[in-house]
Amino acid sequence: MTTLIVVKTVEELKSAPEEFREAVSKLVISHAVNELYGAQVFDEPAIAFAPTPYAKWLTCRVAMEEYGHHVRFKQLGVQMGIPEERMVPGTGKRPLSIFEFPLKTWEEFVAIKLLADLAEILQVEDLLHCAFHPLRNLARATMPEERFHAQFGEDFSAELVKTEDGKARLQAAVDAYWPYLPSFFGGSKSRNNEIFRKWNIKQRTNDEMRVDYIKRATEVATKYGLTLPALQQAA
Amino acid sequence: MSAPLAHPAAALAALRGEVRAASWFAALGEPLTGGELEEAQGYAGALGLGDLDILPARDWADAERHLKSPDWSTAWWDGEDALRRACLAEAEERHTERALWTALTDLTTEAGDLVHGRAATAAARAGGVSAATIHVAAGAAAHAVYQVALARLAGAAALPFETKLRLFAAGRWPLGVVGKTLALF
Repeated sequence: MTTLIVVKTVEELKSAPEEFREAVSKLVISHAVNELYGAQVFDEPAIAFAPTPYAKWLTCRVAMEEYGHHVRFKQLGVQMGIPEERMVPGTGKRPLSIFEFPLKTWEEFVAIKLLADLAEILQVEDLLHCAFHPLRNLARATMPEERFHAQFGEDFSAELVKTEDGKARLQAAVDAYWPYLPSFFGGSKSRNNEIFRKWNIKQRTNDEMRVDYIKRATEVATKYGLTLPALQQAA
Repeated sequence: MSAPLAHPAAALAALRGEVRAASWFAALGEPLTGGELEEAQGYAGALGLGDLDILPARDWADAERHLKSPDWSTAWWDGEDALRRACLAEAEERHTERALWTALTDLTTEAGDLVHGRAATAAARAGGVSAATIHVAAGAAAHAVYQVALARLAGAAALPFETKLRLFAAGRWPLGVVGKTLALF
């Protein structure tokens, strides 16, 4: 059941119920840490693999935008009183498993932008009506950039699939990364998600988001003649 | 090991001011002045790639062709990147990791947003420029700021980075080296 409160400012958050405050803190920390991991593990290293100056500088900008998302979530966290060290890697929150695999090729980066950034879009979409308005507004600010990053994945996928070799390399990257992506959305019986929905901080269950994600990822992969390998088990 | 510098954020204060005052992308497509040609030749010379011709890009489409050319010089990019890595290693000696990283991230985030807006304005005036190409312009400019920031935090005389930033500050966009030419928009 949703509990209808609206928190319009960081100042108002101080008098919100403790469970609400803890829930939004968890989300802000999670976004700050994961945005930073993504930029460090994928976006910045990808600059070296990009095939032309055009692609390199485009990747530079995308990396800076991802770092910028981390900076913005961290700034909100600081305003909320979250210690900075909780919003950077290596100090508590475990990263998503996909971040444990160092990037090795341009095709891997394109696959990540195509599919992992779509997962990020769904996560941000779920915050667009968040009851904590500073977080809602931040989600709205980052959304156009997230959409651009996914479009980047589509544009370079379209380039790669023009040749048989390029398409094979991109498909191999999709095969390698896809199995890790649906678990982005958390466990089916997540207590955190239950609390997020109770307070109207998030809208959907993890499973609803995962099902939607798999559908949308399948559509975008199909658009470029790619297939998504069968998942071993529903995450 | 070199003597510690001021806190990295404080050490970058002057650069932050230069970034705000620069005429990002304001002179794209305009005829090159003698001073700009000299500056561009200085940049080419500092890269150590031998004599390069300076080739003006006429418009955004022409610039995009240069940036996507299959004949682009990896020696140019790799040379700059080797210098960047040397500056980074020295800067890491001089500053704590957290302070260095935070100062660079804050600066490039601010600079990235600023140059992106300027690139979008210049592109809107020209018309017909894709969102991706505006991102490329912003990426190039913000990358130039990042390179200079690293050089200054390292206390290094990184002439190619300083020269390139001056070209950007004058409203130009050095597009890189293709064959024996340095393209300048």
